[in-house]
Formats: sequence, structure tokens, C-alpha cells
Amino acid sequence: MIDTGQILVNSLVTSSLYLLAGTGLTLTFGLSRFPNFAYAELITVGAFCGLLFLAQPGGVFVLALVGAFLVAGLVSASSYSLVFQPLAERKTSLIHLMVASIALGYVLRHTIGEIWGWSAQAYQLMWTVYTIGTVRISSLWIIMIATAVLTAVVLHFFLTRTRTGKAIRAVASNPELASVTGINKQKVILLTWFFGAGLAAVAGVFRAADTRLFPMLGWDILLPIFAVTILGGIGSFYGLIIAALLLGLAENFGVVLLSSIGLSTEYRMAIAFLILITVLIVRPKGLAR
Amino acid sequence: MDLTVYLLDTLVFMGIFALLAMSLNVEYGFTGLGNFGKVAFFMAGAYTYAITAALGWPFYLCLVFAALVAGALGALISLPALRLREDYLAIVTLTFGEILRIIIKAEQGLAGGVWGITIPSAFAGLDLTPRMTAWANVVLVWVIVVGVFVFLQLLINTPYGRVLRGIREDDVAVQVLGKSFVLYKAQALMVGSAIAGVAGGLFAQYLRFIDPYMFLPLVTFLVWVMLILGGPANHWGALIGAVIVEFFNRGSRFLKDYLVLPFDPNNVQFIIFGLLIILLLLYRPYGLFREKPLRTGAEAEVLKWPSSP
Repeated sequence: MIDTGQILVNSLVTSSLYLLAGTGLTLTFGLSRFPNFAYAELITVGAFCGLLFLAQPGGVFVLALVGAFLVAGLVSASSYSLVFQPLAERKTSLIHLMVASIALGYVLRHTIGEIWGWSAQAYQLMWTVYTIGTVRISSLWIIMIATAVLTAVVLHFFLTRTRTGKAIRAVASNPELASVTGINKQKVILLTWFFGAGLAAVAGVFRAADTRLFPMLGWDILLPIFAVTILGGIGSFYGLIIAALLLGLAENFGVVLLSSIGLSTEYRMAIAFLILITVLIVRPKGLAR
Repeated sequence: MDLTVYLLDTLVFMGIFALLAMSLNVEYGFTGLGNFGKVAFFMAGAYTYAITAALGWPFYLCLVFAALVAGALGALISLPALRLREDYLAIVTLTFGEILRIIIKAEQGLAGGVWGITIPSAFAGLDLTPRMTAWANVVLVWVIVVGVFVFLQLLINTPYGRVLRGIREDDVAVQVLGKSFVLYKAQALMVGSAIAGVAGGLFAQYLRFIDPYMFLPLVTFLVWVMLILGGPANHWGALIGAVIVEFFNRGSRFLKDYLVLPFDPNNVQFIIFGLLIILLLLYRPYGLFREKPLRTGAEAEVLKWPSSP
């Protein structure tokens, strides 16, 4: 029995997660010109900060979201100025930057593992489940979708209407020209690393609230996040929105298709991988350019 | 536990990781390709060995077949990304490792899925004591390590090896000289993956049991630590790097098993490895051993000239 309405709702939830988690990756990838593999761990950092803030007296979900945003943003911005900026100044190769980001990811992941342990935990939160016709939707899912839509709208106006937003786009499209016009390149990059990681942390809190949390949480969704980043076109926020919607639909309809032809639903990840490979062969620049 | 067997066990693992570090050296050290999915080809070799050994093939044929399958996968998986920038290759190889593990986990009928698969020992018919089996494994692994080492040392000093180094420095310049860099890069990945496949086969044969949880991305990271620490583009560096890292890997496991500590040595080890890599990349990117200059016949010829330094 295939319930199309339910699959569409599930797809929207998945897309919202990928959009929030992918925004920072695509923007920093576009600005700094290398994929930060430690992004997975920034998502995880967010999820565990959420756990920490929820455990405080009077800890409400909004506080967890804000706290995770700030902490992950600080971790990301300081990792940029302590590791990646010095490496970039030494004219390090792209591969070295990627290796450094993987190494940073291990430092973060094992620090989390040392503090909170490796077994799965869960937030002590309850969500109301609404039933509309045959479609079930929890209040958490509504918050997730609303946050993603709000983020998309705010970022759209931020990138097109504010000076800082325009500066980010300028540095991404032509760093030299942007510097010549008096834009403080380092400040713009640092700001993007901060806000991008903050959004990734928000995605981490949502993921943890929706499922469980463990040190591999971020790593487990890194593949689809890379897939949406490349499908959307590296650095393109609008491409990312479309790609996140497409991958959300592909994964959720794909899972139904997989189980109907008798394959394991573990292949959910393989759908993202297939899309990634196809994009690289057919249109490596992605949808947006 | 028998201390000799423990030491021999360490030697076997050092040899297997030395093979992996050298295979990454072909790809990254000499050709400049960032393969972040080394574990996938290691895993492909191990599972190919397991499946062919279950069919009753002799162990040397299993090893050759493991190399062939892993090599073919290496060339195949890199093709969509080789014409593009380095970061695409990194993402494709990294994610391929995850996908291969998912396939092995999901296909229970292929090789036991999450439950793993047992493998017959190559020395089963010889009726050896555990200690003698351990010695036999050390000899088997290190004969192959030495063989691969000599082969790669010869390979990188041939004109072929010079083309690989040329691609690392400037692939367009190599293309201008009429060498297809995509072809060479695919071949480098094929050779590297085949060596990783042999390492995987030896791993499976030695442990006689493998499951998907042995092939986490952690393995890839360890191999990168070995190569960056030892010195990329130097096979001695790869070898020494593998020995040092595996020594610490053993040490931390030993601490975890025999001492009660307020922290988990395994976590601390990976935090230290991560910080070590970052510091090395910042302050000593060429590692312990620097790359050797090319050795060709021209060098001796130049020294005969009176004006030479």
C-alpha cells in the first residue's frame, strides 16, 4: 500500500534536513574552494550541544537550537582561523586542505566520543502527532519544515538585499575583484563559516530529535549532503534548495520502490550515491550554473 | 597470551598496513590523486578473497583475483571524476567506501552480511602449531611487502613513473606532451587499488573472519596518517609511517585492555593523530622522509662533464 501523501510529507522532512545541513557546506565550499569534510562533525557537535542544553534546568527546544547554533558556529569559525586560513596562506594544495579537514573531523568526533560515549542516546522530548486523513505528521516535523522554509526566505533576502550578503556573493564569484572593491575577504569568509556551521548544528539537533544521537550522526548523512551540494552546483544556494527537494523525493520514493522490488531499504544511501555519480558524468557543474 | 605470537601478530598488521600506505603513495604521493576511500578497495580485496576461498580456490589464486577485482574497481570508480577537479575524486572515493559497505551489509547471501564470513587458512593443510602459523603469516606478508616495495621503487624510476610525477606537478603540461593524463591517473588508481586488494586478501586470510565493521573509514584515515607522517612520494617513508602508526595503534589497544585509565586510549589516540596531521601539514608537509630526486642514466652522464658541480 503506497500512501503518496505520506511519502510527500516524509520527502519534505528529508529535504528540510538536507537544506539546513547543506547550506553551510555549499557556501563555504564556494568561498574557500575546498570541501570541508569536518562538516559532518559540526552537525554532530550541534546534536550533542542540543543534548547539553536540554539537560539544563528550564531547557526548552528553542534554547537547544540557539545554543547548538552558537557553539558549532564558534567551533567552525575558530577551526577556520586556526587551521584552514594558515594552510591557505601557505598555498597548501587542495588535497592537503581536504586531509586537514578529515583530521579535524576525527579530532571532533573522538572528543565527542570521549565526553558522551559511543552508544546511541535520545533527547527526552515528546512530540504531538497529528493525523490528517491518512497522513501522519509530528509537531517536530512541522517545526523542521517551517525552519527550513524560513531559513530559505531569510537567506534569500540576506544574500540579495544586505551589504554582507552581497559581499559573500562577490567573494564567491571573484575573490580578487571583491578585494579590490574594498571588501574584507577574511571577515566575509569567517562570517560564512560561522553561520553555515550554525545551520548545520540546527540540522543536527533536528536529526537527533527525530531519531537518536551518537558520534557518527553527522558522518551518516554526509554523503547525501555532498550529493545535494554537487547536484545544486557548488556555492549556489538556490541550486541547493532544488537539489534538496529532488533528493528528498528521490530517497523517499526510492525506498518504497526498493522494498517493492525486494531490495533492502539500506540502499537508501545508494540513491544519493547514484545521483552524485550521474551528475558528475552528465553535468558536473550542477543544476544552477 | 603468548608474547611471541602477539609480536608476530603486530608484524603481520604492520606489513598489511605498509602495503596500504605504499598503495596510497602510488596514487597520492607520486600521481597527486586524493583517494579518500582506500578502505573500499581493501574491503573489495578482502571479500573477493573470502568468496573465492569459499569456492575452494588455492590461496595464491584468491590473492591474484582479489588484486584484479580491487584494481578494476579502482579504475572504474575513478573514471567519472578524473577529468574534474581533485575535490570531486575525493568525494566520489570517500562515498564509494560507504556504498560498498552498505552493499556487503545488505546482501546477506553474498558474504554473510552483518554476520561476517569465515575464511579457511592458507596453511590449513600443513598441520602447524599456532606459533608456526603466525611465523608463516609473517613470512607470507613480508615477502609480498618486499616484492611490492621493489616493484614500486623500480616503477617510479622508469619513464612511466616520471610521467606520473609530471601529472602531479602539472597535468596540463603532461597532456601537451601527448600523454593522456586521464589514462595515466586511471592506471595509477588501478595499480594502487590492486595493491590495496592484495592487502585486503592477506588481511582476510590472516584473520580468517571478516565482517563489514572492520572496514570503517577509520582505516582510510590511518593510512593517510601513515603516509603524511612518513613522507609522501617516498616508499621508505610509507613503510616507516606504517610501522610507527601501527605500533601506536597496538599500544593504545594494549593500554585499553590491561590498564584502567580515566580516559579511553582509543579516543585519545585518534585525537592525537588528528592534531598530528594538522600540525604536520602546517609545519612539515613533506613528513619524516623527503622525496628523492629522480635517478636516471642522465645523472651519471652529467657528472662526467668537467663543468658540473
